[in-house]
Formats: sequence, structure tokens, C-alpha cells
Amino acid sequence: MEIILQILIDGLVIGAFYSLVALGYTMVYGIIKLLNFAHGDLYMMGAFIGFTFLSIFTGDGGVNTGLLGVGIVFIGTMVIVGLIGMGVERIAYRPLLLAPRLSILITAIGVSLSLEYTSMIGWGASYKVYPIKLPNDGLQILGTQISFAQIGMILLSALLMLGLRLFIDKTIYGKAMRAIALDQSACSLMGVNVHKIIALTFFIGASLAAGAGIMSGVYYGTINFMMGFIIGLKAFTAAVLGGIGNITGAMLGGLVLGILEAFGTFYLGGSWKDVLAFGILILFLVFKPTGILGAKEMERM
Amino acid sequence: MFHLKKYSIIAIGMLLILSLFLSACSSEGSSGGKSSSDEILVGVLLPVTGNNATDGKDMLNAMKMAAEKINNNGGVLGKKLKLEVTDDACDPQTATTAANKLVSMKVTAVVGGYCSGSTLPASGVFNNANIPMIVAAANSSELPAQGYESLFLINGLVPDQAKTGADYFKDKGAKNIVIIHDNSAYAKNLADFAQKSVEENGGKVIGFEAINPEEKDFGSLMTKLKSLNPDGTYFTGYYAAGGLMLKQFKEKGVSGFFMVGDGSYSPDIIEIAGADSADGLLVTATPTANFIPGADEFVKEYKSKYNNLSPGPFSALSYNGMNLLADALKRANSTSSEDLKKALKETKGFQGIGQVIEFNDQNSLNQSNFHVMKVVNGEFTLEK
Repeated sequence: MEIILQILIDGLVIGAFYSLVALGYTMVYGIIKLLNFAHGDLYMMGAFIGFTFLSIFTGDGGVNTGLLGVGIVFIGTMVIVGLIGMGVERIAYRPLLLAPRLSILITAIGVSLSLEYTSMIGWGASYKVYPIKLPNDGLQILGTQISFAQIGMILLSALLMLGLRLFIDKTIYGKAMRAIALDQSACSLMGVNVHKIIALTFFIGASLAAGAGIMSGVYYGTINFMMGFIIGLKAFTAAVLGGIGNITGAMLGGLVLGILEAFGTFYLGGSWKDVLAFGILILFLVFKPTGILGAKEMERM
Repeated sequence: MFHLKKYSIIAIGMLLILSLFLSACSSEGSSGGKSSSDEILVGVLLPVTGNNATDGKDMLNAMKMAAEKINNNGGVLGKKLKLEVTDDACDPQTATTAANKLVSMKVTAVVGGYCSGSTLPASGVFNNANIPMIVAAANSSELPAQGYESLFLINGLVPDQAKTGADYFKDKGAKNIVIIHDNSAYAKNLADFAQKSVEENGGKVIGFEAINPEEKDFGSLMTKLKSLNPDGTYFTGYYAAGGLMLKQFKEKGVSGFFMVGDGSYSPDIIEIAGADSADGLLVTATPTANFIPGADEFVKEYKSKYNNLSPGPFSALSYNGMNLLADALKRANSTSSEDLKKALKETKGFQGIGQVIEFNDQNSLNQSNFHVMKVVNGEFTLEK
């Protein structure tokens, strides 16, 4: 029993990262039907930009950075990567918005490789160690061990997801996003600035990925330029699992995937983790392509 | 058409003559180097370009240092050692070409070999040409398995490393062992041998796990380990995963020792895990000069000679290799292959830095040179 509870907690932590990254995937797909394969690399950019800021501000020692300093870096990085996401959309996707879907998909792969190798040139190919470290202490609940860092990660990602949900449901911009997802040309006829809203979607998606990137850097301690690749694929899987285009689905898909992987690692062994994740992806695509929450025709977002 | 053909025949003829002339020149040049009677030509085969160039250059520095010292002390058999350095770039094809070049230059012996993958084909070329080769770093168990009698290995092999780890566990009374590898050929090989050694020592392997090398989250794996309650855990992969695993091992509070193989033997593992988590980490590794008692002089000399650079992981071995060759040449009192091979084979108690060299039937070390290192206060120290 304790063990099952412990695995659930382990899975929840991984799942929180997957969910945050999956949100960007699902939002972009929902609004322009593009699988943005560069999304995982925005997560990587977030980790590296956060790393650079923290190194500069804390002088590599890191222990004396207050919570405020970390918070500023966190938000600053999210904004910068959000802008990078907007830039990517403006340069690589907008000119192809009316081209066949395949062209824009291939461009996304090109953007992904460009981001990866640009950061390899900029930051180097070797592993970097994050300048701040989280303390190891935590709580014992019902015989399971959960560290404050884990609680923090889960809470923070829950907070970001809640914020996004509210933004989509309650604001005028959220309304515009949902409208564009339904019918793009009708929206522009109604006077909605479609390009601006698409850019905003990229901004939000990219900054959430960046937030996950910094959190992963702080939590695990190491980053490298290829870190976005596998998590990009996992987030894509999570998005499909939950029903791609569906925000709640992405959150749910990430958590389900994380927990499944944790159980898989425990009972089958670590090398089966990816086999399990992508096996599930294939099963879902074959038997229920709309995902857990997706219905045949429904309002995306 | 006819004219064209005639001209082309003339042109080809001239090219042929020119190339003959050039090749005559070059062969004269190399035999000229060989025939000078006051030098012994020693081939050096190392990756001095490519990904492994750093280690390769460190090894070369140590070999040069050894050769210089030997020459300053009057050389061998009244002759000076002359090093002929070729680059294998850790690539099998390049290594074969480089080996053929050394054979054509008629080197007396070869010292080198960093990557097992490129040393394997090169050792075949040298064996066919009957040129003795002393391998300083490459340590795949496939090398001695070829059964070449011209090949001598002075680095411990994978089974030796596995045994060193298993013996340490046995000494400390650790019986229930978990072994984790990362599915790379090297790590899997070491993990398999480690399992064998642990079982031979009367221990029990209660978990044999594989991970992906890029993995970051070992949470559920550590939960599993914790439920197994091991006395010792041995990870045979590389430092990037090793450091993260160690950190999460400590966070989860898994019982017993945490040991890693030499793929994780890097200061980076301490940095990734954090000094607190790394405390008490065990590493099975070959001697790095910094930690070998009696190597202080070597380290000091190396640093003063090469801009205060620390000797790399295989420098001491390379230094030993060159000295062993000089010693064998003296004992053989000849530069013929047969005499030299016999002398190398008969090496008894050759005292190198951090190791005593004697060969077994397979021409690999009779007594392994693997040590167990322990991290204390964020620094590697020699444990056993």
C-alpha cells in the first residue's frame, strides 16, 4: 500500500512536468491544427535562459539567492521564452498558415533542430549543473516520503494550470482563442485580430514550457541541449492521451502518463518506461484517437 | 580523336613516371629514418583528434615525458627512443590506416590504444606484421580474447573491474546487491560481469535493472530499490545519469552503499549529485596519478612540464607502458620482435606507478590495477 502511494507521488511529479509542456502542444493544435514539434525545445530554452540568469545573479554560488530573486528569474525567463515562441510563430509558421499542413509540420521540425543546435553552440554540448539546489528534506505521510521540493513542483504547476484555465474561460482573449479554434475565417469577419490571438497563444504555450524547463533544471539539477527532445515527444503523447486540443485533457493526460510510467518503471524496469509511453500512444491513436476527454466533434480548448 | 588519345597516353606515362619518382623519394625518406643506427623507432597510436583527443593528448604527453627521461639517462641499448605518433581518432578505419603506416615504417614496437573499438583492428595489423604492441588504456575483454601473442595489455579489464567492486561489497559484508546499467555495450558488459562476480563471492543479486542513458527521473526506480532493501547498489553507466541517480538515491533514503563504475569517474558526478549526496560514493576505477601513493613525483613533473596541467586518467598507464617497453628492450638486449615479445612475456614484478605489471596466459595483467575510490568532503580519495 505504502509502495503504491509512493509510486503515485513519484508519478505525479513527472506528470506535472508533462502536463505543463503538453498544454502548449494542445493549445497550438487547438487553434491552428499544428503539431508544434519545436515545443519541447522551448522547454529546453527556458531551462538554459533561467540557468544563465541564475548564474549571473547568484554568481554561481546560488545559496544566497532569496526566494524573491528566484521568482523574478522565473517570471523573466517565462516572458523571454514567450517572446521567442512568438518570434518562431511570426518567422516560421505565419507565412505558411495557408499552406498544406505538411509544410508547416516539416518547418516545425526544422525550427526544433535550429533551436537545439543554436543552444549547443551558445551554451556548449556538455551537461550543465544548475546553480541552485533544492534541500532534500521532506515529510513522511503514511509511510511514504515526499520532499518539499516535490510538493512545491506539483503546487506550482497546478497553480500555472489553474491560471491558464481561468484565463481561457473568463477573459475576452480566452474567448477569442476558443472562437478561433472553432472557425478562423468567421472570427476575422467578426473583427477579431486572428494573428494577434495566435501570437498570444504561442506566447502562453512557450512561457508555460519555459516554466517547466526551469522547474526541471532546479529539481533535477542538470540540463543539456537535447533535453527538450524526449519531453517534447512525451508531452505530445500526453496531449493525445487527454484528447489533443483539449486543455483539461492535456493536464489529465500528463498526469496519467507520468503515473503509468512510474508504475511501469517499478514493475517492468526502467528501460521499459519509454516503450510503455509510446505503446500507449499507439494504442490510443488506433483505438481512441480522440483521447480520454475528446469527443468526435466538440469545442476545442 | 587520334591525337587526343596519343596525348593522353603521353600524359598518363608522365604521371606514372612522376608518381614512381615521388614514391621512390618517400620510401627512401622513411627508410632513412629507420636505418639511422642510433635510434629505436617506437610507434604511438592514440586519438589526438576527435572527441577523445583530450585523453589522447594527455597520454601522449606522458609517453613523451617517459621517452625523454629514458633518453636523458642514456637511452636503451645505446640508442635513443624516437616516437612516431599516429592518430587513430578512435575510429576503426583511421586506426587501421594508421597501423599500416606504422608497419610500413618498420617500428620496433607500438605503445598506445585508447578506444577498444579502434584498438581491436589495429592490434590485428600489428600482430600480422609481428610487431609487439603495449595497450595502455583500451580494456575490452575482446582484446585478449583474440589470442594475439604480440599484444600486451597493461590496463585492467572489465571482468577485473567487476571483481574489484564485488570484492569490496564482500569485504564490507554487503550481500544483497542491486546492479543497474544503461544499456550501452560497455555498461551492460560490466553489469553482467558484476553479477557473476557477486554470485561467485556468495552474494545475491536481488535486482538487475536497465535505464535509459538520458533519463532524469529515477523516482520510481529508487522506490523499487528501497522496497528491495539492498546492502549495495552498483551503477555501471556514465556520470550524467549516475549523478542524478545518486542524488535521488539519497533523497529516497535507499539503504546500503552506492557504487559506480569508471564511466562515472568524473568530478562532474559530485557536482551533479551535490557534495552532500556524493559523500560516501564509491567508484571502481583504474589509477589516476593524483591518487596513487608514490605518484607525487610523476604528477609534479608532469605539471611543471605541461603548463600546470593535471595528468589525465590514463597518463600514468601510458607512462608505465613506455617504461615497460624500455625495460623489456634492455632485458631482450635486441630489437628483434621475437626477443622483445619473449622479454615482455617474462616481465616479473615490473613496478610502474600504481601497479605491478606481470602478464597471465592471455597477456593481460596478472593482478588487476583497479582500485576503489571514495568521495569524502567532495573529493575523491583512495579507499582500497
